[in-house]
Amino acid sequence: MSKRRTKRYWKSLKERDASPDVLNARADEFPEGGPRQFRRRDFLKATGFTLGVAFATGCSRAPVQRAIPLLSQPEEVVPGRSLFYASTCAGCSAGCGLLAKVRDGRPIKLEGNPQHPVSRGGLCATGQASILGLYDSQRLQHPLKDGKKSSWTEVDQEIQAEVANIRGDRGAVRFLSGTITSPTTRAAVQGFLKGFPDARHIVYDPLSNAALLDAHEQTHGVRILPRFHFDKAEVIVSFDADFLGTWICPVEYTADYRAGRDLEAKRVSYHVQFEPRMSVTGSKADRRFAVAPGEMGLLLTHLAQRVARETGTAVPSGEPETASSVGAAFLDELADRLWHARGRSLIVCGSNDLQQQLQSNYLNHLLGNYGSTLDVEKPSLQVQGSDKELGALLAELRDGKIKALFIYGVNPAFDLPDGEALAGVLRKVPLLVSFAQRTDETATLARYVLPEQHYLESWSDAEPVSGLVSVSQPTVHPLGDTRSLLETITTWNGKPKPAYDLVREHWKADIFPRQKRESNFDAFWDRAVHDGFAEVEPLPIKSREFNAQVVRPILKAPRSETGAFALVLYPTVAMLDGRNAYNPWLHELPDPITKVTWDNYASISPSAAQRLGVEDGDVVRLESGSGQAVELPVCIQPGQQDQVIAVALGYGSKLSARFAKVGPQWLDSLISVGDNGFVGVNAAPLLRLSDGVLRYDDTQVKVSRTGRQCELACTQIHNTLTVPKKLTPPGSGPRQIVQETTLAVFLKDPHAGVEDHEEKEDLWPTDHPYSGPRWGMVIDQNACTGCSSCVIACQVENNIPVVGRDEIRRNREMHWLRIDRYYAETESGQIDVAYEPLLCQQCENAPCETVCPVLATVHSEDGLNQQVYNRCIGTRYCANNCPYKARRFNWFNYAHDDQLQNLVLNPDVAVRSRGVMEKCTFCVQRIQEAKIEAKRLGEKVSDGSVQTACQQSCPAQAIYFGDLNDPNSHVSKMMANPRRYRVLEELNVRPSVGYLTIVRNHEKESKEEHHG
Amino acid sequence: MAEAAIALRQPLIEGGKSIAQVTHDVCAPMEARPTALWWAALGVSSSLLLLGAVAVTYEISVGVGTWGLNRTVGWAFDITNFVFWIGIGHAGTLISAILFLFRQRWRTSVNRAAEAMTIFAVMCAGIFPVIHTGRPWFAYWMFPYPNTRGSLWINFRSPLVWDFFAISTYFTVSALFWFVGMLPDLATIRDRATAKWRRKLAGVLSLGWNGSYRAWQRYEVVYLMLAGLGTPLVISVHTIVSWDFATAVLPGWHATIFPPYFVAGAIFSGMAMVLTLMIIARRLMHLEEYITLRHIDRMCKLVITTSGIVGLSYATEFFTALYSGSSYEQFVFLNRALGPLFWGYWTMVGCNVFIPQLLWFRRVRNYVPAVFAICILVNVGMWFERFIIIVTSLSRDFIPANWFHYAPTRVEVATLLGSFGLFFTLFLLFCRFIPVIAVAEVKGVLKYGKPRLESAHE
Repeated sequence: MSKRRTKRYWKSLKERDASPDVLNARADEFPEGGPRQFRRRDFLKATGFTLGVAFATGCSRAPVQRAIPLLSQPEEVVPGRSLFYASTCAGCSAGCGLLAKVRDGRPIKLEGNPQHPVSRGGLCATGQASILGLYDSQRLQHPLKDGKKSSWTEVDQEIQAEVANIRGDRGAVRFLSGTITSPTTRAAVQGFLKGFPDARHIVYDPLSNAALLDAHEQTHGVRILPRFHFDKAEVIVSFDADFLGTWICPVEYTADYRAGRDLEAKRVSYHVQFEPRMSVTGSKADRRFAVAPGEMGLLLTHLAQRVARETGTAVPSGEPETASSVGAAFLDELADRLWHARGRSLIVCGSNDLQQQLQSNYLNHLLGNYGSTLDVEKPSLQVQGSDKELGALLAELRDGKIKALFIYGVNPAFDLPDGEALAGVLRKVPLLVSFAQRTDETATLARYVLPEQHYLESWSDAEPVSGLVSVSQPTVHPLGDTRSLLETITTWNGKPKPAYDLVREHWKADIFPRQKRESNFDAFWDRAVHDGFAEVEPLPIKSREFNAQVVRPILKAPRSETGAFALVLYPTVAMLDGRNAYNPWLHELPDPITKVTWDNYASISPSAAQRLGVEDGDVVRLESGSGQAVELPVCIQPGQQDQVIAVALGYGSKLSARFAKVGPQWLDSLISVGDNGFVGVNAAPLLRLSDGVLRYDDTQVKVSRTGRQCELACTQIHNTLTVPKKLTPPGSGPRQIVQETTLAVFLKDPHAGVEDHEEKEDLWPTDHPYSGPRWGMVIDQNACTGCSSCVIACQVENNIPVVGRDEIRRNREMHWLRIDRYYAETESGQIDVAYEPLLCQQCENAPCETVCPVLATVHSEDGLNQQVYNRCIGTRYCANNCPYKARRFNWFNYAHDDQLQNLVLNPDVAVRSRGVMEKCTFCVQRIQEAKIEAKRLGEKVSDGSVQTACQQSCPAQAIYFGDLNDPNSHVSKMMANPRRYRVLEELNVRPSVGYLTIVRNHEKESKEEHHG
Repeated sequence: MAEAAIALRQPLIEGGKSIAQVTHDVCAPMEARPTALWWAALGVSSSLLLLGAVAVTYEISVGVGTWGLNRTVGWAFDITNFVFWIGIGHAGTLISAILFLFRQRWRTSVNRAAEAMTIFAVMCAGIFPVIHTGRPWFAYWMFPYPNTRGSLWINFRSPLVWDFFAISTYFTVSALFWFVGMLPDLATIRDRATAKWRRKLAGVLSLGWNGSYRAWQRYEVVYLMLAGLGTPLVISVHTIVSWDFATAVLPGWHATIFPPYFVAGAIFSGMAMVLTLMIIARRLMHLEEYITLRHIDRMCKLVITTSGIVGLSYATEFFTALYSGSSYEQFVFLNRALGPLFWGYWTMVGCNVFIPQLLWFRRVRNYVPAVFAICILVNVGMWFERFIIIVTSLSRDFIPANWFHYAPTRVEVATLLGSFGLFFTLFLLFCRFIPVIAVAEVKGVLKYGKPRLESAHE
């Protein structure tokens, strides 16, 4: 076959003559060998060249693309940096000054304004938590008409038309509100009502102090609330006034009280408290007596007569029957003390009974306290309500005389005694307008609900104390289609104007002329807005000489029915009158005394509980003579009067229905509301409106067991510092967790009461040299009142989740800072209370740090015990090994579904996911911020430039924080205070937190016997 | 000579077995179809396993909050179960390694099953440290692996890291030891197998065992070396587990007695568990002639010895607390005995100290139902021991305001049951697929206690 292919074809002669080699080479595209072979060296050369060129081109500068920022940036706003705006808290009518921390256009934290003369830097739990109200997704976003969404134009037109009709018919118009401290709003309301022939502005306070004002009307001729100066008082006698907890203006009073108990200056006031239940104030008293409410008047009379005898004043006629619970000897001694401290003493009475208030005024008058510890020239305007007028309005309502009723800031269908009957009456009012922010009990009855703005959304002002005008400025654009009352009223008057103009105009006309310092209004205004307040001349007061004629001695205590209990209705620091019922933080805030969350309860004394055969959590039925009844779980309260049953107001509100499913939902989870669908039970039906005043302690109730149980969600189940008797190791004393002494001993030896621990030399080199700053804290337990504002401040600052009632029952609350409360019984049978705020102690020899397998908790060079959330795998070993149990574990993914509510989260603090440990970090984000700022300025971090959230909000300024390595820092000086001790110092974990002993002003050097 | 030997030594294996008979006795049940009883047992245990799997899945998907733990008691059922299972695992290594080194030849009948038990128990134990973490998907961070997460490393000061190493080492060595010891038997299975797949599989697993002198010689050396390696582990593992507690500051945990106390407790509970399983296995698989009353008697003696050590430790703890002068320490022990969990404490003392005293009597040791009951109670008591140590110390420590109780949830109980389900499921599968008695080793002791036929060479 191959032979046939011998014939060779060629294309050219050259090809024909060429040698076969050449031909082959041509056919082979990649010939081997020969000159065209690409050698290894060549390859390397080429590669080298290519790379070289590539590098050379790569090194050249890429063309710069300049991003051009917006030329007109929003003024002052720097992303990531906070601005503080001075404003006024509207959490209650006390009018504390605050600084709203605004970050990227949204307020995220409220701090007390240190310059503000009322609050002086503190802010209470309610005030701290009020920021959550701004981001409440259930707040009304638009006006409602008959419960349906409406528009402002529509409701304005309709209301204006109706109002015009009523005006024409000369119908009765009433404006019902709580105390309005805003002079502008008050004037606007007056201006609006002026246009009607029969119109009145009726003010009542759900937590009424009307009798206090009425008493001054009788004795001084003006209906005022004197401004109390607890700082000037050397002897304070309080008759059931919880002035450190909930009474009128606790932040101001706490600051004053603290100033009057200055151990460094050896100036310590003597505080006696007579009260039926254990209140925050009572827990701080030097002498405290549990007294039935009915006996209070009698005691006042006894004291008044004794003081009167000392003054030589004629004793008002009549011999009072002997008071049983307080010995005559003590009253003599007290009267003596008061007399010696005349002009420097203070009697306060929290009862809403006119006669008692008159007695209290009389006492203050006898002691010459008016003008020194009670200021009537510059009175307080924080309480203005009149129960008499309220009573008149209710009568008018019942008679159907009212044609239009505007309700602002109060919830009468909830907080008045006969809410249900009142609801029926209110429904019949032809024009019922509510300015509620949420559809509360009253707003559901109203034909029109015109949602008021949150105070952080609108311009307003306040005059909490005569002569002190505070500005309230908005910090965020209104989140809904809401409108402030000021604007609404002017719209109805036909002259709609923004609230800013209205406030300014009012200030120009009324406030500016009351001062002389500033001649230019604009400068005055700017200054006021900047500072948050302005001091002006007080409103003129025409008080007359004290009229002792009106004071009548109270000669006997009302006899109680046998087997009946005296019911005392009281506000808690969290709920107050129920205005905070929407607020999950406050529901989860442990009560300072009972440590119960998410419920109200019937608190009774241990012996009464024994008598009734009930224990904590047994549901009892309280039935008043008029047939009103509530069913509540029992909470046994040491220090309570045996014949008293105390129930908190403000619970059982419709607004709390939303909390049914708060907290993690899983196989065994339970809802956070009661059988009624609300958190707690409304006790307002048991209130009494009698003799023209709301009485909180004047109802007798019969108590019966229901046989049901309701476990209270309590964050601290054991009450005492000691261990149960049978488990006490023989020969061991009480645990020195809280260290205390008495004043007499302290004056001799400031170091008294501090348990010393031998500092043993360490075998090991120090792990932590702390060459730079070392952050530390000192907590003055003597100053701490347990008010819990620090707990909420910490919660807001550090994005601490709410876990719900069921999780609290399981002992899984997340608060980084808790306040432990201990009781001790003295020889005289008095219950002493000790508060111990406990947070991560940032130990030098931290037990948590060594045990973490993944180094998720480590020591920083400035003494912080850091927690690295994203490294933590959640073995919980650190928490087990923490002697203080200051660590909190994320048992679940806590809900952050509410997008609006998430706006309150602090962007500087990570939101923790489930399965990681967390704890107090001494507000490391604030430390970092201060360090960065100091570095930018090229300075050292100055003392006081870092304030932790808890420290900032503390009304008693009980917390010191700073650099322990700086011998001149405030905290170092406090660390060197002889009163300083450390909790569990014997463990040698070397905490960075020091505590200052409690110094009790007991008259005797009693050795405290702690027991249950 | 021969007569004397008979008088002094009783045979380890009864019934005058021949070598072939041994092979048959052990292998026959594996080659037959499983019995109804086996199926029933597997049904129960795998149901428990399923229950546990559901519980663990739920816990991992929802959160550790589904357990009854709280901010005071951060460990309870989880770590109790962990320590309990680790303890159970101890008898296996003790029998296989320490008794081997001490030439206790009676161990041959029980060592295979005991080692299997060890491995399964460690597997059960290993689950808990993983699932008890808040984020089990990151549990591998406890392992020091090179990573790109910056300078992240593990904390060599943490006992949990030591735990990780101790347990993984222990598991590896135990598994190796078990496997190596099984080689001749796997070869037997290979040789007896009729099914092709079985022959293949056993062939691969037996690593080409050919029964030659050389294979035997090397096998013996490796086995001896592994026994040498395993012996310190018996001590180290539970010592390290006890450091989880002993290095903490908590009163009731912070005690130097913990390592010996925990090791003794582990051997105690492990022996009781081996006895429990052996008593079941000899009955179900008709191995009475291999696992004789003498075996039970000897193991009972180990149980009572360790019970004594455990009892002494309990007493020493009280003495230390008294002697320490620390009121926190003293309180913790009073609280254990008289506090809210007193019933748990006295269950522990009763089951671990008082009840085993019955084993002093030969009649009790030789009465199998009584031994079985005692062993079950010992296991209950040892579970409670760990529970009491963990929970009472945590729930009432230094600051009374922190005190809180603990109660398990359904999820936790289901997880505990699930771990038993896993253990018994694995054990039942083991009985089916692997010779429960080390055939080759037993053959070595067949002549034990019998008249020698030829020479003094044994």
